[in-house]
Amino acid sequence: MDIRFEDAEVRFAGRTVLLPVRLDLTERRIGIIGLNGSGKTTFARLINGLVRPSKGRILVDGLDVTAEPDAVRRQVGYIFQNPQNQIILPIVRDDIALGLKNSRLPKGEIEFRVQAMLERLSIGELGGRRAHELSGGELQLAALAAILVTEPRLLILDEPTNQLDLRNRNRVLQTITSLPQQLIVITHDLGLLDGFDRVLLFDQGRLVGDGVPADVIAQYEALAA
Amino acid sequence: MATKDIVLAALFAAIIILLGIVPAISLGFIPVPVTAQSLGVMLAGAVLGAKRGVMATLLVMLIAAIGMPILAGGRGGIGVFMAPTTGYLIGWAFAAAVTGYLAERLITPEQTGLTQIVYFFIASVIGGIVVLYALGITWVAFFTGIGLSKAFLGSLIFIPGDILKAGIAALAGRAVMVGYPLLPQRA
Amino acid sequence: MKTLYAEGDSILHRASARSKLVGLLLAGILTFLVTSIPLLIGLLVASALLLLSTRLGLKDLLRRLVPLAVTISILCGLTMLLQTVETGIISLLRLTLLLLVSTAVTATTAISDVMDEITAAATPLERLGLLRAADIGLAIGLVIRFVPEVAERYEVLRDAHTARGIRPKTLSLLVPLIILTLRDADEIAAAIDARGVRR
Ligand SMILES: Nc1ncnc2c1ncn2[C@@H]1O[C@H](COP(=O)(O)OP(=O)(O)OP(=O)(O)O)[C@@H](O)[C@H]1O
Ligand SMILES: [Mg+2]
Repeated sequence: MDIRFEDAEVRFAGRTVLLPVRLDLTERRIGIIGLNGSGKTTFARLINGLVRPSKGRILVDGLDVTAEPDAVRRQVGYIFQNPQNQIILPIVRDDIALGLKNSRLPKGEIEFRVQAMLERLSIGELGGRRAHELSGGELQLAALAAILVTEPRLLILDEPTNQLDLRNRNRVLQTITSLPQQLIVITHDLGLLDGFDRVLLFDQGRLVGDGVPADVIAQYEALAA
Repeated sequence: MATKDIVLAALFAAIIILLGIVPAISLGFIPVPVTAQSLGVMLAGAVLGAKRGVMATLLVMLIAAIGMPILAGGRGGIGVFMAPTTGYLIGWAFAAAVTGYLAERLITPEQTGLTQIVYFFIASVIGGIVVLYALGITWVAFFTGIGLSKAFLGSLIFIPGDILKAGIAALAGRAVMVGYPLLPQRA
Repeated sequence: MKTLYAEGDSILHRASARSKLVGLLLAGILTFLVTSIPLLIGLLVASALLLLSTRLGLKDLLRRLVPLAVTISILCGLTMLLQTVETGIISLLRLTLLLLVSTAVTATTAISDVMDEITAAATPLERLGLLRAADIGLAIGLVIRFVPEVAERYEVLRDAHTARGIRPKTLSLLVPLIILTLRDADEIAAAIDARGVRR
């Protein structure tokens, strides 16, 4: 998809948290890095209209996100920084099915797709579990399943490996690497960005770096030093 | 209806349900269960305002109606709407509405802390005691044939406990407003 | 969370949720039209048989009936003392009858079936533009999800009090509990919107 920022700027309560950005994102694998509070989440949330620009606009495949958030959200999946907040229904399987509720698919087909999705992420055994009992890694995968089942064309992941042990981190890494979708990944885990097409670096609400992973990561390391 | 209003009402309904599980404030011996749950109802109005407060109490009633034992003492099921004490349950929605409405009207951010606490107390007493009892007593009187005046006298035993709850609701309502203001302002 | 539905295959289990709920409502209205004590006793026996037909165990039955039965007995006892004995007996019969029938309906009707009936009943309100029927199911799902989380948070707050040597009191627990709980509302609402659940 083609994500175009036209001088989008964000202010919260009079404080500018994102300075005007103008850029075009079309690559298949895009990373976003930067220090805590630098504006990464705010930037990413502009793409599906969870944050509205105070100035400027964002176009996703030509659709203005502020004007048509629903149309954009049907194509853009977003996994929250804290997936706990994203689980809506108590049982994992029901929560995943929720995303298909508006699809008018027959009940049996919904059940089939939910099960297939659980198995694709090798979490078939989690279907009947209560979401609030899951560990951080299981929760991350359950949240991913709930979004992937709606087949978005673009997937935004906000720190997907944060809180995960090494095994689960690698499991999530492997899963997202194999996804056919276009991806935008916010992360402090720089190893995730291997093979990415483009990385953006934010600092104090300003886009300060934009290029191939090696260059931008070097810039980030210099900035953090 | 904004999604956030639904979420706030659902979160508060969960708090009211939890208050039915934690140890009850026990006072008197008349068999209307006295728990912190009606404290939760006053707070729903005081913290969320009338509309969302009513939604929270309606959600608790619906969840009881579909057959979950979430009311104080583990009661639940459709039968709680056909019992002599049903007036006190249905009355929750009216209690939250009146408490919330009064809180929205009376309280502004500029007032001193003490003024706010007093107003929250007045709102909780009128909504959570006067209105709730009016409905509850009428229902008991009708369902048992005991007569209004006698049902009224019998329920006086609960008033001290409920005044205490209104006091707690006032202090908590004001403290929550300082930490996380949600009460819609009415001019 | 626990439910009061008890699985089984009795006649009542197989009856539709709508017929049971409408039947219960009619029973409620009819009971209050009947004033003859012998007739009420007959109806009471019939409703006891109805409840027994659900094949609930004795212990389970007692657990379901005792709390409200106590309330009913005391209130009707008072009515007998303060009004006439006849008024008290009639109330006792009526209220016990309703307790038995509603307990039978609750025990034999699955939660999802009652939910469907509530959603159906809300559809006229939806046409009036008062609410969206689908939101009811969403909201109830949210509450059921939140209860264990709020309970956990309550435990954590109590432990935090104890760890810092403060005796946990209703007020000092309630305030942080409410703030911490409601603070999540923005994120959860954002997630619901992002996932396009309400369209
Ligand atoms: N709803 C809000 N209201 C006010 N300020 C906000 C809000 N959301 C974010 N901010 C502020 O905007 C700035 C950028 O926040 P953002 O969440 O985008 O940072 P981030 O780069 O994702 O940080 P982290 O790595 O810690 O997740 C921060 O200073 C934050 O406090
Ligand atoms: Mg962030």
